[in-house]
Amino acid sequence: MASITLQEVEKRFGETAALRPTDLEIRDHEFLVLVGPSGSGKTTLLRLIAGLETLTGGEIYFGDQRVTDVDVGDRDIAMVFQNYGLYPHMSVFGNMAFGLRRRRMDRAAITDKVQEAARLLRIEHLLERKPRQLSGGQRQRVALGRAIVRDPAVFLLDEPLSNLDAHLRVQMRAEILKVHRAVTATAVYVTHDQVEAMTMGDRIAVMSDGVIQQVGTPDDLYDHPVNRFVAGFIGTPSMGFVECAREPGEPDLLTGTGVRLRLPAERVAALPAKAERVSVGVRPERLTPTGRGDAESASCTIEGVVEVVEPLGSEQHVLVAVGEQTVTAKGPREEHFEIGEKVVFALDPGHLHIFDAESGEALT
Amino acid sequence: MTTVTDTDTAAPARTYRTRRRLPIARAVVIVVVALFAVWTLWPLYWMLSTSLKTSREATSLTPTVWPHSLDGSHYTGLFTGSLPFTNYFVNSIFTSLVSALVAVLISTLAGYSFSRGGYRLNGALSLAVLATQMLPLVVLIAPLYLLLLKAHLLNTYLGLVIGYTSFGIPFGAWMMKGFFDGVPREIEEAARVDGYSRFGILFRVVIPLSVPGLVTTGVFVFMNTWNNLLYPLTLINSDQKQTLPPGLLQSFSGTFKTDWGGMMAASIVTSLPLVIAFFLVQRSMVRGLTAGALAGT
Repeated sequence: MASITLQEVEKRFGETAALRPTDLEIRDHEFLVLVGPSGSGKTTLLRLIAGLETLTGGEIYFGDQRVTDVDVGDRDIAMVFQNYGLYPHMSVFGNMAFGLRRRRMDRAAITDKVQEAARLLRIEHLLERKPRQLSGGQRQRVALGRAIVRDPAVFLLDEPLSNLDAHLRVQMRAEILKVHRAVTATAVYVTHDQVEAMTMGDRIAVMSDGVIQQVGTPDDLYDHPVNRFVAGFIGTPSMGFVECAREPGEPDLLTGTGVRLRLPAERVAALPAKAERVSVGVRPERLTPTGRGDAESASCTIEGVVEVVEPLGSEQHVLVAVGEQTVTAKGPREEHFEIGEKVVFALDPGHLHIFDAESGEALT
Repeated sequence: MTTVTDTDTAAPARTYRTRRRLPIARAVVIVVVALFAVWTLWPLYWMLSTSLKTSREATSLTPTVWPHSLDGSHYTGLFTGSLPFTNYFVNSIFTSLVSALVAVLISTLAGYSFSRGGYRLNGALSLAVLATQMLPLVVLIAPLYLLLLKAHLLNTYLGLVIGYTSFGIPFGAWMMKGFFDGVPREIEEAARVDGYSRFGILFRVVIPLSVPGLVTTGVFVFMNTWNNLLYPLTLINSDQKQTLPPGLLQSFSGTFKTDWGGMMAASIVTSLPLVIAFFLVQRSMVRGLTAGALAGT
């Protein structure tokens, strides 16, 4: 078992920076999720930890041991690939035993280890089959099994659920967490799906443009995003943003098309004096319809026109055009909305996220 | 209700007509295919038929389609007469097999290197190897002759194998490259994570997944060398080491007389190893030649 330390780790492909100099500390036994859109550098970072890519700069440590120049086969890692990476010409048993044979373990010990992993993943009955005779979910279990039989210090998973259907994905999320608890290795999990990240990670590192934007627990990221990118990426439906300006002579009032937000004193004090134009973010569940008439009494309101209503059974999402921007409100499906209807939402100022309009950095 | 029922019962009547080929079109296809089969198989039949005729019937001015009587003397004569046919046959088998094996081995390593790259001159080197295929064998034979002369390898099996493999390897390397390109990199990376070296991965993972490619390359090189006339004719000058194509040409075709019956019998025997090899590996070869044509194959 090992912690992982990245110091100024950098990767360039020619002139293109896939990963800008990055520091990251992954704790022993931790399940860290790297999440971000395509091209954000998350897979590159994972492959650098694995040793499948060479670093352009920086150092990597597993515990106290420097592994920057250590070959991938000697790093004591196991990896689960996006397309499983199973050996098509070998049986399930052969796939799981392949790495152990390289370590020259005796045959009985190999059989025991494979059987044990197969039991954990409930694939004992598949051991004689070839990968082509398995379903997607079964292949994924075999790939997990191949990784855990080796008792690795570090467990790396590269979008392992992206080829599965939605139902199976939910099931396999639980399986992977169960496996992680069983092997207690330090795990790094790459995904572009923020729901996976939120539900699985002890901590999450949100990446964009080859840079880690923020590292924190799921609640940290959700409640205290450090910038507009993280705020918009984490959460389903996404946070809505409206552009506002501070009213001259009224430092506690932010206004924009359809937006009127009067901030409490402590939030005004936290705003930099020169922040005249800001972007205000609102989580969909914080938008409460005012009941058509209470708008005057609310200190913070957003007014717009209903564009789309998405009923989801237990709840509904309402997309509302506020000036040029669109925000999403999430609420009980009993509330009725008409397309084209004018609606006013009241907001608790404590739940507003205020970002610099230019840089996107969080201001309070 | 009635309307609905009517609509429901009417629906099956509107089934789409399946596209069926017209009987005339079908007949035309059969005739064309049959003509093509006759066109292709006729020379083979003529070869077999002539080999079973007597020498007089084979050279008769009024050719016969069916032999009047079956005569096997041309076949027995191949192995019992003064002609060193067995020598030619064994030499051909030996040099073709060795050339195919050497070519497959080197092509595998070269093709893997071309496919996985990772070094500066990979693209240029692989194109240079491909470019050698543009040169006709006749152009290469003179320099090859001089090289082998200086190396004292003229009139040796080794010299002949070197000559054969010199044109088999470029073709084989590119064919194997195509195969290795189709092996997903993730599988190799999984083997790297499992602790295997480059050679371990090549021999335990990549090659077992590329058996059709190996077979295809081997059979192609074998066929090309088996049929090659120019190289042994130029590089070998003794009956003891001569192979079938030049041996047959020199033995049956003279200035004043050609032994058609003997030549055809020898041609039939010469074709047999290729036919057998082809039938044994045809399934692999078809898979080999079409590999990578579809995603996921």
